[in-house]
Amino acid sequence: MSYLELSGLQKRYRDSVAVDDVSLSVEKGEAVALLGPSGCGKTTTLRMLAGLVDPDRGAIRLDGAEVTKLPAHKRNMGYVFQSYALFPHLSVARNVGFGLEERGVAKAEIARRVAEALAMVRLSGLDRRRPRELSGGQQQRVALARSLVIRPSVLLLDESLSNLDAKLRDTMRHEIRSIQRSLGITTLFVTHDQVEALTMCDRIAVMHRGGIAQIGSPEDIYERPATRFVAEFVGRANALPATHDAEGRVVLWGERLPVAAPASGEFDLFVRPQRIRILPISEAVAEGMVRVTGKVLRSVFVGDHVEVLVEGAAGQIQVELQSGTALPQEGAEVALVWQARDTLPFPRETA
Amino acid sequence: MSDARLKWLLLPAALFVLAIYAWPTLGLFRNAFNETGPTGAMVETWSLKTTAEVLEDNFTFDLTLNSLWLSLSATLLALAMSYPVALFLFRTNSRFRGLLAVVAIMPMLISGVVRVFGWLAILGDRGLVNSLAQSFGLISAPMKLVFNWTGVTIGLAESIMPYMILALLAGFGQLDRTLEEASRSLGATPMRTFLRVTLPLSLPALALAAGLGFVLSMSAYITPKLLGGGRVFVLATEIFEQATTNTNWPMASVLAIYTLVLLLLLLVTSNLAARGLKR
Amino acid sequence: MNGAGRVLSSLAALVYALILAPIAIVVALAFSADNFILFPPSGYSLRWFRALSTHGPLLSALWLSVQIASVVTLLSLVIGVPAALALAKGRFSGRDALTNFFLAPLLLPTLITGLALLLFFTPLRLTATLPGLVLGHMTVTVPFVIRMMTTAFSTLPDDIEAAAATLGAKPWRVVRRVTLPLVTPGLIACAETVISLFLSGPRAATLPVEMVRYVEGRTDPLIAALSVVLIVATLIVVVIVERLVGIARAVGK
Repeated sequence: MSYLELSGLQKRYRDSVAVDDVSLSVEKGEAVALLGPSGCGKTTTLRMLAGLVDPDRGAIRLDGAEVTKLPAHKRNMGYVFQSYALFPHLSVARNVGFGLEERGVAKAEIARRVAEALAMVRLSGLDRRRPRELSGGQQQRVALARSLVIRPSVLLLDESLSNLDAKLRDTMRHEIRSIQRSLGITTLFVTHDQVEALTMCDRIAVMHRGGIAQIGSPEDIYERPATRFVAEFVGRANALPATHDAEGRVVLWGERLPVAAPASGEFDLFVRPQRIRILPISEAVAEGMVRVTGKVLRSVFVGDHVEVLVEGAAGQIQVELQSGTALPQEGAEVALVWQARDTLPFPRETA
Repeated sequence: MSDARLKWLLLPAALFVLAIYAWPTLGLFRNAFNETGPTGAMVETWSLKTTAEVLEDNFTFDLTLNSLWLSLSATLLALAMSYPVALFLFRTNSRFRGLLAVVAIMPMLISGVVRVFGWLAILGDRGLVNSLAQSFGLISAPMKLVFNWTGVTIGLAESIMPYMILALLAGFGQLDRTLEEASRSLGATPMRTFLRVTLPLSLPALALAAGLGFVLSMSAYITPKLLGGGRVFVLATEIFEQATTNTNWPMASVLAIYTLVLLLLLLVTSNLAARGLKR
Repeated sequence: MNGAGRVLSSLAALVYALILAPIAIVVALAFSADNFILFPPSGYSLRWFRALSTHGPLLSALWLSVQIASVVTLLSLVIGVPAALALAKGRFSGRDALTNFFLAPLLLPTLITGLALLLFFTPLRLTATLPGLVLGHMTVTVPFVIRMMTTAFSTLPDDIEAAAATLGAKPWRVVRRVTLPLVTPGLIACAETVISLFLSGPRAATLPVEMVRYVEGRTDPLIAALSVVLIVATLIVVVIVERLVGIARAVGK
């Protein structure tokens, strides 16, 4: 039995289902991300965990005990809000010590632990300030310290990096991950940012329309997406309409590929732009590699990589090359080559 | 917080409103069905006689006309004065904006009796206006500006202005300044912009403010009684007269409900007008 | 400022003059030396303030009004604030209907409410008694408090109270440690409005009634002196409260 068990959680609002039969097992000390677009139910799930929302159905177990009906103030879970929710009328020190005061911890002990927590998030010395005097990044760290100081059994973060600018986000991602690791605290992140999910977590649960589309390690999710949605949402991908021949092999742009087609129905081939190499048309290609041809439309320089758009017999493919590699000429006829195993067929969705 | 426990917090307020407001109001309606006996004592019964008496009386008709006419005049006067102030407050960037806003609604903070007194001092026979006019040789005898309809209209207009200013300001909040800027960029002078863009767009707010002013005027009591000098008869004064001097409660109740119905009709009309203007 | 702006400002200034005229006159008259209302006064003196300080009925009416104001404010807050909290935070069916029910007294003209109360109180012999007056005023102040405080409570961001709960605070602790402190400026503003509504209320309060009686009897500047006292009192209350709210805001938020 895992440390944190969510089974069959469901929540309806009026005539829409926010969370539909969500089940998840989290081991002690694990960091799991709930990743998905807005409206997929990830925040509702997190709030149910914290006791801020009552599930219509389902159960939550923490360390063997059922906590589904327990009110929020008895669950001992640390929750970091997207808005940080710092108490404006209290100083930083009193904000961080709030939970300890509620637990009746002695004043001296509170002071000690608050100082410890502030040191951990590198905010020592700011204990007398008011929240409104702090920058966004500092406020976020206070919110984190406040949730950690109570030594919760589970740490819950709700899109807590989305209000920070890009550079700060990068820094905080590393900091939070290292704090999480050093404390060994079971953590759930809710985010719509795949980079966050991929870099901060041991496992990712990709959510879509109230349900979990796939759970797995970051690598699993990225390399072996289980559904079309996951393939589209995580990382960039080309979606190429393809057909199959009489022998069941995929036909793309008139070329037969060493890839098996799905049994029935129309489908698209997903290939990641980074997995495609551009080779001169004349160059030979090894067995088991996919090769199609096309004409280069244009190249766009994006700093750390270059995007090349190639037009083929029945569509366009975007290729990502590392900047610094030799760029093909505009208008040149080229061959696009990638490994067969990097081809992911998914059924076409009828909208 | 659990919703069940929250509901207990409502209990004192609920009991209060029920006992001190709902019940007496019901009592008012109940009284409308009573009658006044020949001795002047109230007779408990369920009859429509009092209602019929009131509705058939020509005096009621006069009172209604008086009230409507007075309210109309006062509202129009107040509207003409409130609109510029509200527009000014809305537009101004002066740092005294807050102070100016407070001054604009000051009549609301001053007791009605005090205001009446002030108007007596200004409009009275020996008051400011008459003194000035006489000393400049404009008139030979004092103008009768108080203890009549004129004085009451002026005083009433001033007392409802704060509410109208607030209502107009709330309505202006919906005005989009970029529309005025667009009008100017298309060649309209500020005056034309005002007439073609600002004014039409502010009409819904105007209608609501006018409705509010009208309702307030119809139910005003102190200003008509004190500034009217016993010559101004409106529904409000009559209701109080019947209730206190004559202790004819059934009649007072019927009149009150009659006024209430009238007010509801007016409110509905003004809301419909405002909505119609919004389109 | 352009031409149109100038026209507007001039119009506004004119109206402001009209608004302030009665009040300015009253203040001036308070210092008049005449026996009757004559403007401009022939001379200036403090005689009417002195006369005020010896006028028994007006003074006792004033004192009574102050007492009533305090009781009304306190009771209205005690009854109204919890109700506002329940209405702002609660999620139960009929909440909207209940809110309208509580705010209804503000919709009906005071004429109707006043009459209804008169008819209700007379057989109970409550008219013109302290409890009667207190209750009468509360019909307006309680809904007012509820309206102001529901707005104040609902402007509190939801997350902050949820945060307190996740940190272990029981519901009433959340109210005590977070909700109430954050809503204090609103509370103070509310109390202020109730008090000033009071000092200017034209309903069957003792002071205005006394004043009316006086004015109907004679027309001399005594009432002007009293008016000045009332205006000054209102201004003092407003200023004190603005200061308090300012302090609360600086300390709190």
